[in-house]
This record gives sequence, C-alpha cells and structure tokens, in this order.
Amino acid sequence: MKKNLTKITMGLGLCIALVACSKDEETIVVPVSAITVKDLPADTVTGLGADGRPQYAGSITYYSLVNNKIVSKTDSASTKWDIAFSSTKILVNCGTSGPGLGGAFVYVGLFDALKSIPADSNFATDNSNASQYAIPQSSAGWYIYNRVTNLVTPAAGRVLVLRTASGKFAKIEILNYYKGGITPELTALDADKLTKQRYYTFRYVYQPNGTKTF
Amino acid sequence: MKKTPCLIFVLTLLQSANLSAQSRFVKDTLDASGDSVVVTATRTERKLSNLTVPVTIINAKTIQQNGSLRLTDILKEQTGINLTSGFGAGIQLQGLNPDYTIILINGEPLVGRTAGVLDLNRIALGNIKKIEIVKGPSSSLYGSEAMAGVINIITDATMGAPLTIGLRYGTYNTVDANLETKLQTKHFQYQGFINSYNTDGYSIRPNSNSRVTTPIDRYSTTQQIKWDLSSQTNIVLNTRFTNEQIQNEIAVANNGITIYSTGKEVIQDINASATLNHRFSKTLKTSIRTYTTTYDAVQNLLTINGLPYRDVLNHNFKRIENQTDWDLSKNIQAVFGVGAVLEGVKSSRYDSEKLRKQNDIQYAFTQWEWKPSEQFTLIGGIRYDQNTQFASAFSPKLSMLYKLNVQHQFRLSVGQGFKAPDFRQLYLDFTNAAAGSYSVFGSVQAQQVIAKLDALGQIGNKFPNYFLLKALKPEYSNGLHFTWDWKINSRSAVSLQLFRNDIKNLIESQQVGTYISGAQIFSYLNIGSAFTTGFELEGQYAINANWSLNGGYQYLRTGDKDQIAAIKSGTVYTKNSQGYSRRMKLNEYVGLPNTSKHKLQVKINYNSPKGYYLNVRAIYRSKWAVNNNNGNEVFDNGDVFASSYVAINSAAGKTFKNGISLQAGIDNISNYIDATNLPNLPGRTFYTSLKYQLQKNK
Repeated sequence: MKKNLTKITMGLGLCIALVACSKDEETIVVPVSAITVKDLPADTVTGLGADGRPQYAGSITYYSLVNNKIVSKTDSASTKWDIAFSSTKILVNCGTSGPGLGGAFVYVGLFDALKSIPADSNFATDNSNASQYAIPQSSAGWYIYNRVTNLVTPAAGRVLVLRTASGKFAKIEILNYYKGGITPELTALDADKLTKQRYYTFRYVYQPNGTKTF
Repeated sequence: MKKTPCLIFVLTLLQSANLSAQSRFVKDTLDASGDSVVVTATRTERKLSNLTVPVTIINAKTIQQNGSLRLTDILKEQTGINLTSGFGAGIQLQGLNPDYTIILINGEPLVGRTAGVLDLNRIALGNIKKIEIVKGPSSSLYGSEAMAGVINIITDATMGAPLTIGLRYGTYNTVDANLETKLQTKHFQYQGFINSYNTDGYSIRPNSNSRVTTPIDRYSTTQQIKWDLSSQTNIVLNTRFTNEQIQNEIAVANNGITIYSTGKEVIQDINASATLNHRFSKTLKTSIRTYTTTYDAVQNLLTINGLPYRDVLNHNFKRIENQTDWDLSKNIQAVFGVGAVLEGVKSSRYDSEKLRKQNDIQYAFTQWEWKPSEQFTLIGGIRYDQNTQFASAFSPKLSMLYKLNVQHQFRLSVGQGFKAPDFRQLYLDFTNAAAGSYSVFGSVQAQQVIAKLDALGQIGNKFPNYFLLKALKPEYSNGLHFTWDWKINSRSAVSLQLFRNDIKNLIESQQVGTYISGAQIFSYLNIGSAFTTGFELEGQYAINANWSLNGGYQYLRTGDKDQIAAIKSGTVYTKNSQGYSRRMKLNEYVGLPNTSKHKLQVKINYNSPKGYYLNVRAIYRSKWAVNNNNGNEVFDNGDVFASSYVAINSAAGKTFKNGISLQAGIDNISNYIDATNLPNLPGRTFYTSLKYQLQKNK
C-alpha cells in the first residue's frame, strides 16, 4: 500500500491535480485537470405517496466524463456516456448497462496519490442479472449507509477507477450525496434528508491519451 | 488547621490529574469503626480495610437519602460508571460495555440480557442492605462476564424494622410503593418485600408524541428466609419475582420511511436459591448453593402497515455449587469451589423459538490468602470453566494489600477475566424486514445457513470474512488495578486508582456477505482487541459534624488496537469539509464510542442529629462519540458526539423518632435533555415520599 508519496496538499485538488514528478520519473506526463461536478441529480424524490413514503421515478442520470455533461436518456444504449447514477447505484458503460468498453473498480487510497493505475488492476463489469456491479453497492463500494441516521456518506479513501465507454481511463472521488454538497445534520427532519439526497458532487480526472497515468 | 485537608485534597487532585490513575471508598462513612464487611471481593466475609482489590460499598442509608428507586439511579452517581441506553439501561464500568459486568443478587447472577445489556431498571432498591462493586476482572471467582467487575446487591433478613411501608409520588405520575415485613426470632428470620412501580413514561423529543420511555408497570417481590438448624448449620432461601409490562410505541425509520408500531412487552423474571451452610469446626466450613432463574420476555407489536411482530426470549439458568472455606493456619486461608451450570435460551430470533439452545458449564476454583503480617496480605486465585459450546477458560488473579501505616494503604491486583460467547452470538437467526432486510446469523450456523441460501441462488457475494467463520472463543481481558488510599486525618481521605484493561478476542458483528438484492449478511467473529485505561480519584471531607463533601473523578482513555495500528500504517482515511479524503492522524483518534474522557461527581451532604438531611449531587460527563459520520469506520473528531452535560439532583428529608420519614427531591434540576443520546434522562422531575417504619419494642 505504501507508495512514495510526496506531500498531499489537500486544497489543490479542486482545480488542478498537479502531477508531481518523482525524481526517477521517465515518462512525460501530460497534465490533466480535475473537474468537479456539483449537484448531479440521480433519481431524486418526486413526491410523497398516500402512505407517506417518498416516491421516485426510478430514473438514471447518464454522464459523459469526456464532455463533462449529462447525456440524454435516449442515448443510454450508446457509447456517448461513461458513468450513470441512480440513487446510490453507479453504472458503468459495459456489461448489462451499456455497449461501451467500460469497466471499473474501487481503489482504496487517496485521489491525488493515485498517479497511475496499477498494471494488475482488475476492471469489473456490470451484471444486473446477478445484482453485481463494477462499483458494488456494499461497504466495499463508495458509500456508507448509516441505519440510525439514514444518511449516506461517501467512504473516505475510496477512488473509483473507471474505464470509459471508449476504453480510456478516469478516476473519480465522490464528495457528497446531498444537494449543495452538504450532508444534512443528523438531527435534520426526515423530509429534509429525503428531498436533499441523491444529488452527487464528485471530482474526476479524465486521461484522454489512453494511458493509465494521471 | 481546619482548611488544610481541603487544600491537600485539591492539590492531590491536581497532581494526580497529571500522573494518571483511580479509587474506592465507603460512601458516607468516614468513621473507622464502621469498617464494613464485604463478601463479593473474596467470596468470604472480609473487612473492607483488609481487602486486596478495589471495592465500593453503597449502603442503604445513601440509597435512601439520595432518593434512589432503581439500581440505575444509584449506579449513575458512582465513580467510573456511566449509564448506557439502548436495550434498557445498562452500565459501563471503567469504559467497558454492559456485557462485561456481572450483576449478582445475593451472590447469584441475573440473566436475561438483550444485545448484552441487562436492564438494571428491573431492580428495585427498597429492601436492599447494600451494594458492593468490585472493579477489575473477577472471573477467578465468578467466571464469565466478570471482566470489568462485579456488582452484588445484598439483602439481609437479620436486620431492620419489622414493618416498613413506603409510598412515593413524582412527575409523570410515577408511583412507587413498598411494603417490607420482617420476622425475627432467635433461630428464624424472614424478610418479605413487595414493590410496585408505575409510570406514565415521558416524551422529551420535540414535536413528537412518541414517548422515549413508555408507560411501565413493574411489580417485584422478594422473600428471604434464614433458618438456623443448629449453631453450626443454617439454611438460607431467597426468592425473587418481577413482572414488568411495558407499553410500546416504536418508530423504526428506514430510508426515510418511518413505521410506527404499538404493542406490549411483558417481562417476567423469577429467581430462587437455597443455600445450606455448615460449619464443621472453627477453621472449616462449607456451603451448598442451588439456584435457578428464568427470564421470560414477550413482545407483541402491531404495525400500522405491516405484519404483526412477535419477539420471544426465554432464558433459564440453573446452578449448583459447593464452596468450602478452610483456615489452614493462622495466616493461611483457602477457599475451594466446584459447580455446574445448565443454561438454555429459546428465542424467536433463533431458527426456532421452540427449540432451546443449551450450554453446560462445569467449573472449579480455588483461592489462597496469605497474611504473613498485619501489614501485608497476598491473595491468589484461579478458576477453570469448561463448556460444551466454546473453548474453556482459565482465569487467574493475584492481588495484594500493603498497609504502610494507619494512613496509607496500597493495593495491587492483576487478573484475567473472560466472557463466553453469548447465545445471540452463537445462534441468532434474524432478518430485519423493517430495516433493509439485512440478516444476522450466529457463528454456529452462519456457514450452513449461507451455504443453504447459496444453493437456492439467494447469495450475491461471500466476503473474505465468511471463510474465516469458526467456533467462537471467549473474549479475554487482562486487568491491572493499583490503588492508593490515603486517610489524611479523621475528617478527610482520598483514594487514587490507576487501571488498565486489555481485551482481546473481542466478538464483533462483521459483514460476511450479501444477498442477491444487495442486502447485507452479518455474523460474529473474534477479531478485535481493545483497551481502556485511566484513573479514578475519590475524596471525602467532613466539614463538621453535620456537613460533608465527597466526590469522584474518572479520567478514561480507550481504543481499538486494530484501528490504532491501521491509523499508524496510514490506511485509515477521513474526509475534509469539501469531501476530499486524506489520511487520518493518530491524534485525531478518539477511541471507542460511548466512552467519555471525563466524569466527575460531587455530593454535598447534610445530616443533623435531629434527623434532618439534605444532599445536592452534581454529575458531569464529557462528550462521547455516538456515530460515524465522515466515511470511515473509525471515530475521530469529525464524527458525531453527544454533548457533555451536567445533571444536578437534590433530595431533602426528615426522619422522625416515631418511625415516620418524609422526603422530597428534584432530579435533573437544570432540566438537561438530550432525547437522542440520553433517553434515560427525563427532564426535571419532582417527587415526594412518605415512609413508616414500625419501631421495635425495646
């Protein structure tokens, strides 16, 4: 696990992930910048049912990391999108989710410190028939669900390493699951937690040159 | 001259805060002639001043003057003890969870724990003579559960008034009524006690009708008979019966959906013991004890939009034991004991509520006390417990007392304690349909059940932990306690205790896999190791004949050793306010949840010769971690804490010569409320009580 880490400067990540060149670096690294996406809705609440339960449309939000924008649902069967969100479920354009060359795994470590994807990494694909997704919906995935407070918190030190629909690479860190990027107070009313949830804030670095280095 | 002791007390307090350590005391008794007799520490009658381990005694007068009704009321005002909530009110002793303290009534254990917690509100205090609290592992005498310590509640038929009637009324229509009768002849003593406790419960949650404590009706009765067959032989019989009816209004929230249920919980607790004591000679005596207890809890709930819910727990425990005390010489005394336990549990949370899960235990123990001089006592003991369901346990303990002089006494004890895996950890078969359909399977059958589900195609993933599942081992603790008692003068005394408990083989619930649906599956593994350490400082000062002051402080540090190792190796992460992950630093680690760094209580006490009394008790507890909130499973400053608080209680009364006594009190004067973290602390409550004791003819 221990890599030769130079100092991790936290504040920098927002704008640019500077590629700190170690002394023995040989390859020339093209600087790629980190992009932060704010408040991406992912099947947000549509209203309350007669029984008081919140209702959802079951929608999926498709996203292109290459173009940094939402892709229309009508293009869900294309390679125009790389990643998709629906509540806590994250889909990758591969397997049962889409026709792309995608794949993903969860890397345990720091976003900035992940300079290159290890060569022996195993990219998983989505298989909805077995409820198995490349980004698992469990404690091994990207979030922690607190049964007491009903809050979803991104797990610390988890980087989603993604192969895009076109076979390029990207890394993603989920920053928040609530509107405005602020997790509601534990004591907030359920209604407040419900209406604010399912809004993703995340940052990512996309490497357009096809290499596994960032 | 008068002010000096107080000053010394303060100085000592300050100094020791730097040193780090703990303490013990006879509450409210500064008088040396009142050297109490303690049975719990050595299972033999010993004077408190001759004990080698730290013991706290709470006597009946303190309980009565504090206006304490239930065991929790008095324990929460003791040094080193905090109340826990969830599954009833349990106690945390020196930072260790309620599972790790054994609760005895007249030496016999109470059963009926839910998730490891014994609800101590079950125990009425109206008729008890005293409570003894032994801190430190005591499995060498008491076996499983005596890891953090032992609390023994003692009643005595041989003392007191022939008839006592008590009635108390307080806020929330809380009515407590007691009737105690005693019959004493030369060879026969009887004590009968009936208590009824009824309350409307209370709601302290804002904008909510759901009561934190629901209406409760509790009845309990105890009977004790002591019968001297001859001058060498006697029989002691004890029975206890408790019936508790709790109205339930339960709200289970899951994913924002709250499901309300109403219903009733009925709990019955029956204990009966018979002991035959015989003294063969001045140096040899033996006793045969038999004990049986059954705890039966049935909860029936109707949910507004779901199926009726029924939860049944039936726990029985039978024990037979022989103990022989032999004084080999003037300075060597030995205790030998053997016993057998049959224990069984039926529960609707196991695979079948009809089948009783059974565990049999056989054990033997011995303890040797060597007193080479008046100044020095050394006690060594060991116990062996053999079980049918899990690995056997050896529990040694060594303790010593050194009396430097009249003023200074030093005690040192080292011991090992254990807690056997409980029935829940072995046999649970529970799926929570109300909260995400997660399942928990006991370790005995987890692999079989999951394999069976797998064959049916219901299992999504098996985690590495699944393959590590095996027979659970007992949890072990090693405890070290050092106590320094300093009797400064006839008016003041301080006591300092340093403690450390190291626990290994902690049994923790771990995710072992998922269903196809993604719902989690848990089981139990021996994985954790933890420690609790700190000091307790207690002091008392008699200001004059009527006024006295006493107090206690505990400094506590705790930690999960695996988590600490992970933090050191740089594999624990935390998030900053923007959501960026970073490595967690060791100094951000706050230790185990629900543990507070500081606890302080101070009591001012007034007693007049005319029978008036007044006391004011303040209890402070510093913040404690309750919930992980920032995306790692380790507690740090970014997590959720319960706020520190102060609760002030006061009681005053008068005892008249004709046997009538009156009392009035206010609990939680400052009306501190934290419905989430302190559900057992209602707001400000008032009470008044009347008691009549029939005086003995002289």
